[in-house]
Amino acid sequence: MNGDLNQLFGLFLLFLSLLLIAGVYLITATRNLIRILIGMEIMTKAVTLLIIAAGYVTANIALAQSIVITLIIVEVVVLLVGAGIVVGVFMLTGDISVKALKNMRG
Amino acid sequence: MTLLLIIFFLAAVLIINLPPKAFFKKIAFWLALFLLLLQLVFVFLPRSLWTGLNTLCSSNNFSMVQDSLSMVMLLSIAIVGLVALLVAKAHIKSENKLFNFVCLLLLCCIGMNGMVVVTDLFTLYLFLEIVAAAVYIMIVFEKNQNAYEGAFKYFILSAIATTLMLAGVGLTLSTVGALSFTALQIYFANTAQISAGATIGVLLFMAGLFIKSGLVPFHGWLPDAYQAAPNPVSILLAGIVTKSSGVYALVRLGMLGVLVPESLKTLLLAFGAATILIGALAALWQKDFKRMLAYSSISQVGYIVLSLGAGTLLGYAGAIFHMFNHAILKSLLFVNSAAVESRTGTRDMDAMGGFAAKMPWTGATSVIGALSISGIPPFSGFWSKLVIVIALWKAGLHYYAAFAILASLLTLSYMLYMQRKVFFGKLIEGYDDLREAGFLYILPSVILALITIGLGIGFPFIVGTMLMPVAIFNW
Repeated sequence: MNGDLNQLFGLFLLFLSLLLIAGVYLITATRNLIRILIGMEIMTKAVTLLIIAAGYVTANIALAQSIVITLIIVEVVVLLVGAGIVVGVFMLTGDISVKALKNMRG
Repeated sequence: MTLLLIIFFLAAVLIINLPPKAFFKKIAFWLALFLLLLQLVFVFLPRSLWTGLNTLCSSNNFSMVQDSLSMVMLLSIAIVGLVALLVAKAHIKSENKLFNFVCLLLLCCIGMNGMVVVTDLFTLYLFLEIVAAAVYIMIVFEKNQNAYEGAFKYFILSAIATTLMLAGVGLTLSTVGALSFTALQIYFANTAQISAGATIGVLLFMAGLFIKSGLVPFHGWLPDAYQAAPNPVSILLAGIVTKSSGVYALVRLGMLGVLVPESLKTLLLAFGAATILIGALAALWQKDFKRMLAYSSISQVGYIVLSLGAGTLLGYAGAIFHMFNHAILKSLLFVNSAAVESRTGTRDMDAMGGFAAKMPWTGATSVIGALSISGIPPFSGFWSKLVIVIALWKAGLHYYAAFAILASLLTLSYMLYMQRKVFFGKLIEGYDDLREAGFLYILPSVILALITIGLGIGFPFIVGTMLMPVAIFNW
């Protein structure tokens, strides 16, 4: 990795950390289950971009591309299951707030 | 060959969803039973046959390992899968629901079989998500509010875990330049000054695995998910899913020599000790049978991680042996709790008492399981804890060794408390016509109890031939 590229990667890391923090903030601050799913998506997008950048700086872009395409598919499948759970919660309680999910303690 | 174990399961899932639906619904259960028995047979085939078949059916693009660790994991997956399948047959009455369960179980097996044989970090993540997606659906099987709550908590923490793991993958890629286990092994063995990027990458990946294996303080999802899941799913979750998706990868990373830096070892030791203590203390408080077993599960995972922290060959051997024992014993205890619930309809330990008189088989096997998991000789649980303690002592970690011994007293105390509440003593009012649970509950618990007795008594024979070679890295 030469100097210029290194600096670029550093800047990129900074931006991705901000994106990640935005996702974490969204998950922790909101009470809405759908928004939690969106926060998760933002977090995953941040790491997807990180993998692309890592592939670029190590001249491994082919590997990074194949990883990212697989990642996007997997992520959609998992999100679908999560959305299914949210729909189930809504059908059972008529509410999509975290308050619906506070039965079990201890 | 290992590829076959994935392809067979995948083909089975596809075939049983084809028309004529009515016919395949009838045979789905037997097909799954057959495939899991096949996997059991495969594991015991001689090594030369494995290599021969492997050259027949492997492709160069998708390399896999068949070292002894993978074999142990494949064996545990087959055993726990079979147990969960049998209990599901008894527990799930409707044919449609049983069919759905079998499909999800097969998907879960694809993911777990894949996870324990892959050779790079990203494919590991891929199979991990297959398991996770199947398990979320299995937890909400009964569609009640607790189930949704348990599943959603698991979902969120898993999402955070996978984000951390992927960030680790990205950072490792940016410094090491590759993700295969071999490349990592070479990098960590040959680089004098390991760069900060690689260390942080491994740390992030480990943090993700910590969440997935439910270590304290990331254990919030685990008791809820175990308690809310239907009984066969709890068996599957506690016995093998968290082990193969979290702990297995930690063991693999350790055996690759990735956990070399002293700070990483200290981290494992600290997390392991905290997990043992807090899991055991929380288990003492529980009133719900399955929730108590869930906290006990957390505490036992702590032992595995503590043993990894020793960082020696003996430490890895102890971790792997304890992981196998835990798969057997925790499935046994969950089968017992399922058997009790099938007859009494409750899991509240305060409303139980003296059931051993009416349910002799369930009572006897649960005593064996409880004694074995708390480390009483001659059962197998004693030997794995002994190996862990010796490994810690030999590595110079005397305080941790003493802690491991003292903490096993805590295990004994909550297990005896459970026995006294549920099985011993006088039969409480209102259960005079209680009968022994069905054959499909008795059969798995007897087999699992026999395995732990057999392993315990036969330990001198397996220590040199099976236990130690497992920890040696070869493929």
